Amino acid sequence: MLRVDSRVQCQPTPIAARQIVVDIADLQVTSDPSSVLVTFALGSCIAVIVHDPIRLLGGMIHYMLPLSSASPDKAAQKPAMFADTGIPMLFEQLYALGARKQDLVVKVAGGGTLHDDKGIFNIGQRNYTVLRKLFWKNNVLIAKEDVGGTKSRTARLFVGDGRVTITSQSVEVEL
Amino acid sequence: MTSPGASALRTPQGRIVERMSRLPTLPASVARLQAAINDSRSTAADVETAIRPDAALTTNLLRMANSPFFGMPRKVESVKQAVMILGTRRVYEATLSAAFARVIPKRLPGYELEAAEFWLHCVGGAILSERLARAAMGRAPELIFTAGLLHDVGKLVIGSVLGDEPGQLQGSLAGSGATLLGAERALLETTHAEVGGLVCDRWQLPTPISLAARWHHAPSAAPAGVDRSLVDLVHVANDLAHLLGFGTDAGELQRTIDEAAVRRLGLSVKQAEEVAAGAVEHIQQLAELFAGAAAEKGDR
Repeated sequence: MLRVDSRVQCQPTPIAARQIVVDIADLQVTSDPSSVLVTFALGSCIAVIVHDPIRLLGGMIHYMLPLSSASPDKAAQKPAMFADTGIPMLFEQLYALGARKQDLVVKVAGGGTLHDDKGIFNIGQRNYTVLRKLFWKNNVLIAKEDVGGTKSRTARLFVGDGRVTITSQSVEVEL
Repeated sequence: MTSPGASALRTPQGRIVERMSRLPTLPASVARLQAAINDSRSTAADVETAIRPDAALTTNLLRMANSPFFGMPRKVESVKQAVMILGTRRVYEATLSAAFARVIPKRLPGYELEAAEFWLHCVGGAILSERLARAAMGRAPELIFTAGLLHDVGKLVIGSVLGDEPGQLQGSLAGSGATLLGAERALLETTHAEVGGLVCDRWQLPTPISLAARWHHAPSAAPAGVDRSLVDLVHVANDLAHLLGFGTDAGELQRTIDEAAVRRLGLSVKQAEEVAAGAVEHIQQLAELFAGAAAEKGDR
């Protein structure tokens, strides 16, 4: 089984890692295996975290809302704000770096909800539903996910080995 | 024998009162500005006279006024110009924003919150309150921006008290199913909302602002006579800001949403999403100005 590049495994410590911050309504891709993609404070927003373990490529989007029809103008300026415009763009940018669909490992985090929301402000749920529809139509499988609940999450992707961590309530777990 | 003062400091209420008394006040120029605005005979020159003696505040006001949020058609160089182009209401909002940014400490320890994150949440509350008002009511009520900006001011006091025992708020929230407010009340017998109302009174801000802070977590429980739509809007804006990740604290999403408030406003989730899409850039831009205000504070 093909594992991570030996050069990366030889790196003694992640301290030198280059941190690439993915802002809200933003997406980033990288071919730098020493980099760590990170996004903070995912409430109802969702991060789609994609890794190509063969070519050591990584990508992450932090989208805010499900559908670009909420604001076509904003979608034109900032496609990563919406699931329907941002997620396809994330995959396209990874393919442009040489990623291949069959190799991609896709993880999902976020989509949180308020304590007692009975569907009035279910932005997180709507964000997740649109994501599932998009992935179903395009035959994308989710390897792991940490969605829903009253958590606010910070997600990290270590591009060198594909490790994904989620931090919430001061506890970090591997996804 | 222990003095009464020292024994009072052992109780949560005693510590809250003590921290509140140590909280910085807003500059006198804010009160002068408020008086000038309330006087219908005031001119742009009177507003300028109220603020100009405070050079640091004037600098920050102009920095705020020139941010894209306030939509200046050209660069304003003076307070008078700002009043003429933006109007007194926007100048008041920008001045209060600049003044408030300067009293935020570097860190709110009890909430595990850095100043920049707290400020981001305040700005998010202000801009979302105003935009939700336009979406729901077709207009922005007089004090809506300021009420949204200051809704969490009680956290300055509560955060300081909770900071005496680091981790206690997280400890009482973790896995308990408690809400942030429930955890605050269990620990301190009060909440940041109740204390926030008192801070606004202490700062002699207009009553609707202090009532919005006081009731922003329980708008339906606010007594008759309170401007309900103002409180409803701030409540919804606060939740929306947390959902979108603008300045989330240790309570994360362990907060309630008052369905009746959403119904009273007649807001749909789609409208809220449209508001969010339109607001995010302005929130980020106005929040970034904090770096400037904090730098001024450090220079003094």
